[in-house]
Amino acid sequence: MTDASLPAPSERRQHTSLIAPDARTRKRKAAEARFRMYGIAGIATGIFFLIVLLVSIVSSGAGAFQQTFINVPVYLDPAKLDKNGNRDPEEMSKVSTFGYSPLIQNALLNIVNEQSIETPLEKGGDMKALISASAAAQVRDVVLANPDLVGETVDFRILASSRVDGYLKDRVQREDVARDKNIDAEHLDLVDALLPVGVVEKTFNMAFITGADASESRAESAGIGVAMIGSFFMMLVVLVLSLPIGVAASIYLEEFAPKNRITDVIEVNIANLAAVPSIVFGILGLAVFIQFMHLPQSAPLVGGLVLTLMTLPTIIISTRASLKAVPPSIRDAALGVGASKMQAVFHHVLPLAAPGILTGTIIGLAQALGETAPLLLIGMVGFIASNAPDGLASGLLDPNSAMPAQIYEWAKRADPAFYERAWGGIIILLVFLITMNTIAVILRRRFERRW
Amino acid sequence: MNDMRILERDVDTNQIKIAARGVQVWYGDNHAIKDVDVDIQDRTVTAFIGPSGCGKSTFLRCLNRMNDTIDIARVEGDIRIDGEDIYDARVDPVQLRAKVGMVFQKPNPFPKSIYDNVAYGPRIHGMASGKAELDEIVEQALKRAAIWEEVKDRLTAPGTGLSGGQQQRLCIARAVATEPEVLLMDEPCSALDPIATAQVEELIDELRRNYSVVIVTHSMQQAARVSQKTAFFHLGNLVEYGETGHIFTNPEDPRTESYITGRIG
Repeated sequence: MTDASLPAPSERRQHTSLIAPDARTRKRKAAEARFRMYGIAGIATGIFFLIVLLVSIVSSGAGAFQQTFINVPVYLDPAKLDKNGNRDPEEMSKVSTFGYSPLIQNALLNIVNEQSIETPLEKGGDMKALISASAAAQVRDVVLANPDLVGETVDFRILASSRVDGYLKDRVQREDVARDKNIDAEHLDLVDALLPVGVVEKTFNMAFITGADASESRAESAGIGVAMIGSFFMMLVVLVLSLPIGVAASIYLEEFAPKNRITDVIEVNIANLAAVPSIVFGILGLAVFIQFMHLPQSAPLVGGLVLTLMTLPTIIISTRASLKAVPPSIRDAALGVGASKMQAVFHHVLPLAAPGILTGTIIGLAQALGETAPLLLIGMVGFIASNAPDGLASGLLDPNSAMPAQIYEWAKRADPAFYERAWGGIIILLVFLITMNTIAVILRRRFERRW
Repeated sequence: MNDMRILERDVDTNQIKIAARGVQVWYGDNHAIKDVDVDIQDRTVTAFIGPSGCGKSTFLRCLNRMNDTIDIARVEGDIRIDGEDIYDARVDPVQLRAKVGMVFQKPNPFPKSIYDNVAYGPRIHGMASGKAELDEIVEQALKRAAIWEEVKDRLTAPGTGLSGGQQQRLCIARAVATEPEVLLMDEPCSALDPIATAQVEELIDELRRNYSVVIVTHSMQQAARVSQKTAFFHLGNLVEYGETGHIFTNPEDPRTESYITGRIG
């Protein structure tokens, strides 16, 4: 090629300085700067909302981890609790909690008198507003477990009523009390007087983390512990079923299945299933597992099965993605030395895909852990005040709730004390989710760094 | 190119190891290999040369049925190793691949230790009855691949931590550890620097004593340096096949001449 054939430089070419940017460059730079600003603004908005969310969750929910108790020595009057005097638990169990309530109320009144606190509340019955409705049951349980205590004065640490608890947490204000028939200003005065002498005290609320749900009138004794166990058993079912099924399905689809129309349809449908609203899985579970297969209602087993259906597409999709990410040269290498297809997959491809599979599984489990809608339809949402299960079978089959379902249940109840517990439950749920996601990240890091 | 060396190269006139007759390969509708007949001799290095996409790698992958792993690939014709049809329904490709080892274009050691890389084949084929025997097989394979001296002190180190040339020799060790009779090499030096290439080429010449080696290469110099027989592929056809010295100095087909002189390809 000769120089003569090159076209001459255009007439439009002008000398421009590299130091002074021209108009076009300035415009381009401005556009870039604007775009960065949008990005920063977007991130800042996100962080702002995240902080607002966290602050509001913690400030609303922290109260649930504190509980007000009343320390009171109760004289267990034999005349009321064991009229025949033979200490037979069988006979004593005929005395209901109504028989115990006055004892506790009188005991508290005695303290008030001992401390010579001036109050217009003079009768034992006036103390009722301070004491939790569950206190009588607490005392009764102790007495029935140990009948010899009757006739003695025993120190009890009983729950204060939710109004008293709310007053000490600034949830119940004095101006609200005027309209509240459960408690009066005099009661609050009494609480103020009892607080410095240590009769009324606010401490860490272990029962919230370990206990069971309580009825509408006893917000102060409601705990999320049993729902946590319900969630645990559901997750057990989900893990045991969805991990092997999901991994096996993905390995078959990714490594063995012929690529034809049938597998295409399956593939598209798995992707679609991942987008199906979870309530649809709930109604499916109701129809199939409960109405057709007659599995027990409200059982974590059924919840686990429904959540397995919901989690499977997530696990299959993430497992297939991590199998795809294993370089084909590894498969070639294994086949090249005479490994069978299965040996190539299980000896070489699967170990390399394991971190991705684990991460996907944990993310799927975390999703399932926070799922509420399908549980609505199989009866795991509602007042389920069961005791902690005492084994695998009862854990799987006895009616139970789950953490998000419990939170939902509390959030819709009237007493603001339940509302506080709902936020407390959210904190616990978030702690679980963050822990699971952290484990996922750590596992992935650890396995990926091996070589 | 050192023409003098090629002419001096002795050519073994051993018996035929692989006999291919009328081989056709389709990838879907694409007719990749058209009616190829070729006889590959034992204890000989046979080079497949040709421009990109001419089907030489495809043909190589027919020899150990690696094309089976591609769904749309279809192979017709007759390929016999020691007189046995490898596409016979009774043939297990797993056994075939133990007999016909393969080294790939990019070094692809398993992300395991050097020892496990080499021991994998013997393990899955049950070639060693004990740890001592397996150690012996691994050592022999690494020695044959001329990498033993470099790695003998770090057999537990990951194979992926070696340099490119070492990795490729490790892959060759892995391939020879299963005692194959034929060794297929698909552009084994294309990802290597000249020094590593020279080492691998030297190794190929060594391997010729025990194996029938088939090597696909883009480098005509390499084909001239290492092979005794050369096959030139063009557009899916086997254009010319013969003694390497003959092909490079006195090609019969004008297309071969054009390719080796750099006018097509």
